[in-house]
Amino acid sequence: MKVLDKPLVVSGELSWLGGDRLERRVDKPAKEVSTIADGEVTQERDGRKPRTFSLKRAPQLKILLDSFVALLGGDASRLDDSFDVHLGRDADRWALTLTPRDARLVKQIASIQVYGSGNQPRCMRMNEADGDTSIDMLGELATHMPAEPKLEAVIAQCGGAM
Amino acid sequence: MSRARLGLLVLWLLALGLLGWLASQHLKIGTDLRSFMPAPTTPDQKLLMEQVGEGPGSRLLLLAIEGGDDARKAAWSRGLATALRKDPAFTQVVNGDFDMAALDERLLPYRYLLSPTLDTQPLDKDYLADELQQRLDDLGSPAASLLKGLLPRDPTLEVLKIAERWTPAHSPDVREGVWFSSKGEALLLAQTRGAGFDPGAQGEAIDHIRAALTALPDGKDARLTISGPGYFTVMVNAQTRDEADWIGRVSTVGFIVLMLLAYRSVRSLLLGALPVATGALAGIAALMAMFPEVHGITLAFGFTLLGVAQEYPIRLLSHRRAGESAVASVRGLWPLLLTAIASACIAYLAFYVSGVGGLKQLAVFTISGLLAAGFSTRYLLPYLLPEQARDVADTPGLARFRAWLDGLPRPRWLPVPVVLAVLAMLCFAPGPFWQNDLSALTPLPRDLLMTDARLRGELGAPDVRYLLIVQAKDADAVLSASRKLEPAMHALVKLEALDGYELPSVYLPDLETQRARQAKLPDQKTLDRELALALHGLPFRKDLFAPFVADVEQARTLPPLTPEAFEQSPLGQRLAAMLVHRGDQWVGLSTLSGVRDPQAIETALHDTGVDARLLDLKDASESLVAAYRTRILHAVLAATALLFITITLALRSIRRAWHVLAPMTLATFLVLGVERLAGIPISLFHLVALILAAGLGLHYALFFERDTGDAAEQRRTLHATVVCVLSALLVFGMLAWSSIPVLRAIGLTVALGVAFHFCLSILMAPHVREDRLP
Repeated sequence: MKVLDKPLVVSGELSWLGGDRLERRVDKPAKEVSTIADGEVTQERDGRKPRTFSLKRAPQLKILLDSFVALLGGDASRLDDSFDVHLGRDADRWALTLTPRDARLVKQIASIQVYGSGNQPRCMRMNEADGDTSIDMLGELATHMPAEPKLEAVIAQCGGAM
Repeated sequence: MSRARLGLLVLWLLALGLLGWLASQHLKIGTDLRSFMPAPTTPDQKLLMEQVGEGPGSRLLLLAIEGGDDARKAAWSRGLATALRKDPAFTQVVNGDFDMAALDERLLPYRYLLSPTLDTQPLDKDYLADELQQRLDDLGSPAASLLKGLLPRDPTLEVLKIAERWTPAHSPDVREGVWFSSKGEALLLAQTRGAGFDPGAQGEAIDHIRAALTALPDGKDARLTISGPGYFTVMVNAQTRDEADWIGRVSTVGFIVLMLLAYRSVRSLLLGALPVATGALAGIAALMAMFPEVHGITLAFGFTLLGVAQEYPIRLLSHRRAGESAVASVRGLWPLLLTAIASACIAYLAFYVSGVGGLKQLAVFTISGLLAAGFSTRYLLPYLLPEQARDVADTPGLARFRAWLDGLPRPRWLPVPVVLAVLAMLCFAPGPFWQNDLSALTPLPRDLLMTDARLRGELGAPDVRYLLIVQAKDADAVLSASRKLEPAMHALVKLEALDGYELPSVYLPDLETQRARQAKLPDQKTLDRELALALHGLPFRKDLFAPFVADVEQARTLPPLTPEAFEQSPLGQRLAAMLVHRGDQWVGLSTLSGVRDPQAIETALHDTGVDARLLDLKDASESLVAAYRTRILHAVLAATALLFITITLALRSIRRAWHVLAPMTLATFLVLGVERLAGIPISLFHLVALILAAGLGLHYALFFERDTGDAAEQRRTLHATVVCVLSALLVFGMLAWSSIPVLRAIGLTVALGVAFHFCLSILMAPHVREDRLP
């Protein structure tokens, strides 16, 4: 990220609670649980009052939630509603590129890429319009996360060849 | 027709044409209902009069757009909002498209003075470290993309705290960046510049909205629902006019048929219309000469009351004898006609002194109209009528009808049971006596009200009924008082006494609060040091927060934000609408939404010790209507007294005056009793209609009382009266069937009145045979 000297590494668990509910549990560096449910985002951190803001305030976040839920739930038509979907294949590996259809959203999130092999997604990479990139490494890759990763190495690990 | 006659007719028509042309060029018709209200006397009434039409709540139009998918509706919503924001007819348009630009760039450094953070929290290293750690966590959280842009300038997110304070507690869903209802309509709120109860201004604003939407791409496919007080005003106005027009056309045809049957002469019919036309135009001319603007209601009521004038030509036409010229007929008739005209005019003088602008205009219009109609009937019309006329005394059946009427018993004790019956009816009548709720007279279709309630609920739009009033000596004192109310109001929302509130201090804190916050801002050296300490161990780039340090430094030395300065910003209109300067006082107006327990709010406001109170516009307007009615009643009483004196003097006999005035008075009260027995609460419109009916009744009684001793002349009197009664019954009976309560009130009252006046003035007239005895 531009605003930071070094990459920000966060590790934890992302779980889909069914419906439009998503829970994101972060263990490192600080414990934090974010829940998106019933149109509200609740962030709970150790030793603080939970912070709640409405999804209405963040329509972009709502679309991201849509994509997560649609991906995890395997709902192709819902995905198609919000994104321009492009699938690339290379033998066993695949990459799904999602470009938001909402012109206003594109100004913030240029695209989302999901890398995987077989039937297992491995990474989710979000390319923000300002050049910042964030990568969610999923499954076993996450357990091998170096403490101070280099972006290029991580991309390579995800299957950046494609 | 001789040349002299033709010349007279042409001159008369030319004069009327000229008056009509002048009226069409120069007559300014006001539509604001308030100019028909009494001048407010107390400060509360003054406030009400302003708020009734101009309060922020009553100027709000609620818009919902349907048709097409969300993206299309959102595009329309944005397009419409952009167009209307440029339109001077609107002061504010919101559609949920909240952007940071709403807080003016120049005002951004003021965020430390506007946000309450510094009240409890200094900008020291502990607070900054804590906030920065949170921001770091935010960057790794779902909210990252939302906050990243703000970070360098505003690491403590004051802008978001302010935005949160300014967002209504209940705002609609945001989809595609704009408000949507649960039914999937795009929602907008538009505040008009014009008053809410000014149908002219509101109609124009609504036209602008429709035109702006149609002009958008595919805008013709959009289905627009509008609601709110202004829209209702326009709807009711149009509906009333439509129905009145329709009824007017039918009764005009009926009236023409009746006149043709009665006089068998097209010429008489056409010429007979001239005096009333003269009266109407003379009335308008008098209004134009005396008032800069004429109220629409004055004209509507005035034309109604001028209906009396149609009697003058009818009397002249009916009282013509075979072989007698019209001029001779009118000479015989004139003393009585003059009595009738003069007494009506004198009675209307009471309205002139009532102190109500609208009633004053009404008096001017009616008096000049009646005089013009009367004198043109006396000095112009007879010279135009044909030399020879059919004597209506020979109308078949008329003699038998007269004989039958003469045969009716005319007990002297008749007034006693009538008075008792009226008293009984008034005592046992169901429901309230007076109709104080003006809106009950112009009811809205149920589905319109349902739509309004639904949209209002979804938009969290303010209640039109309640306003929170804070009074103080200047704008800053209002803001300071408003700040003291904030905790109490917050608690009330928690207790569910209401859903939401909008206090002026939420937008702009008072100067003292701003200065206190300013004093808590650290100087640049201190802030640099604290920030460096706070940043220790955090991965933020060096110098990232330079814009933050610069803003804080600037905020330290800024002059506190005044209402005048704030009102220049895009959100300023909102504050401007809440701070009103009146006389040597400033008043803060806060809108409330979803008020459930006004009593609890009242108590809580009282407990704060601040000079604040809840203004119930409904209560206040009802009390104003009641005060208004008292004025009218006083005017009516004065008019009655004047009438008694005039008639007694004119007839030079108390006994004869009794024969004229007793039936008129009794019939008036009988109408009142019957309407009350039917459960109808009496409104202003009923009172005006009663006055018209009394004016007609006065004519019947005067003519029936006339002692001529000539059977043919009695028949002519009867003929004229029957024509008058039938035409009044026709015109007003039609109105009585109207679906609009205002028209029904007038129609029913006059129709009933005419019938009662006719019956009573016959039954209480001196007996013909008695009169014939020497």
